[in-house]
Amino acid sequence: MDIVVRQVGQASLVSVVGSVDALTAPQVADCLESQLGCGQTQLVLDLGQTVFLSSAGLHVILTILRKSRQKGGDLRLAAAQPGVEHVLRLAGVTGILETFSTTDEAVASLGRDRLDVGGYGQRTVE
Amino acid sequence: MRDRYSICRAAELKSLAAFRDLIDAACQEHPDIGPQTCYDLKLAVDEACTNIVTHGYAGMNPGSILLALELERHQVVVTLTDFGHPFEPCEPPAPDLKAEPGDGMASGFGLFFIYQTMDGIRYRTAEDGNHLTFVKLLGGREWTSS
Repeated sequence: MDIVVRQVGQASLVSVVGSVDALTAPQVADCLESQLGCGQTQLVLDLGQTVFLSSAGLHVILTILRKSRQKGGDLRLAAAQPGVEHVLRLAGVTGILETFSTTDEAVASLGRDRLDVGGYGQRTVE
Repeated sequence: MRDRYSICRAAELKSLAAFRDLIDAACQEHPDIGPQTCYDLKLAVDEACTNIVTHGYAGMNPGSILLALELERHQVVVTLTDFGHPFEPCEPPAPDLKAEPGDGMASGFGLFFIYQTMDGIRYRTAEDGNHLTFVKLLGGREWTSS
């Protein structure tokens, strides 16, 4: 699994290439935590080349979602493949976490509106 | 086309990819297995193997996991065999997304995913190991693309 990070406007775009399972999920967590640690609180997780995501990856997503919102930022998901989207739907996270078809849409959405998800932060729609 | 596949790997997280690859290979040889069914099988096996690695062999010398896949006319039968501590996977309630993400959340979702994706689950412990069997029926709803 590979991770590529680049800045797009105010957002950190983190692209995960490969499979996120119990072995590789800590690497994703470390990368996203590092972004938060550097003050980059607007995060987009690009799942366009993520071929597999298990509960370990889901745990990372939920943890980073909470932390980014606690810091006044947010986490968006982009370009999830059908399998990953399937996992997100099974877990019911699509109601608390915004997903987008493209990274451009996800980046553009940051700072525009936020989700109110009781326990994961406030949402105000402009 | 083969109808039975099996591999044996060390009970460590590095082996997860090999188990998923075997399922991918089996599904590619059987066009009647759609992408969603294939993903469901990989997910259930991945979650179960993660639990075996994390909990089954906890405090023991590292052991192994045997994955056996049988493709039948209308279903796929997967059996995972290990030799660690018995751990019967009981169906958990739907994880509370509003709870603070903790170490238990990943395994809670893991068992939840297994029960959400598989049509049958059976567990037995015997002298020849712990056997966890999943049944996935074929012919269900599939994505239109993989």
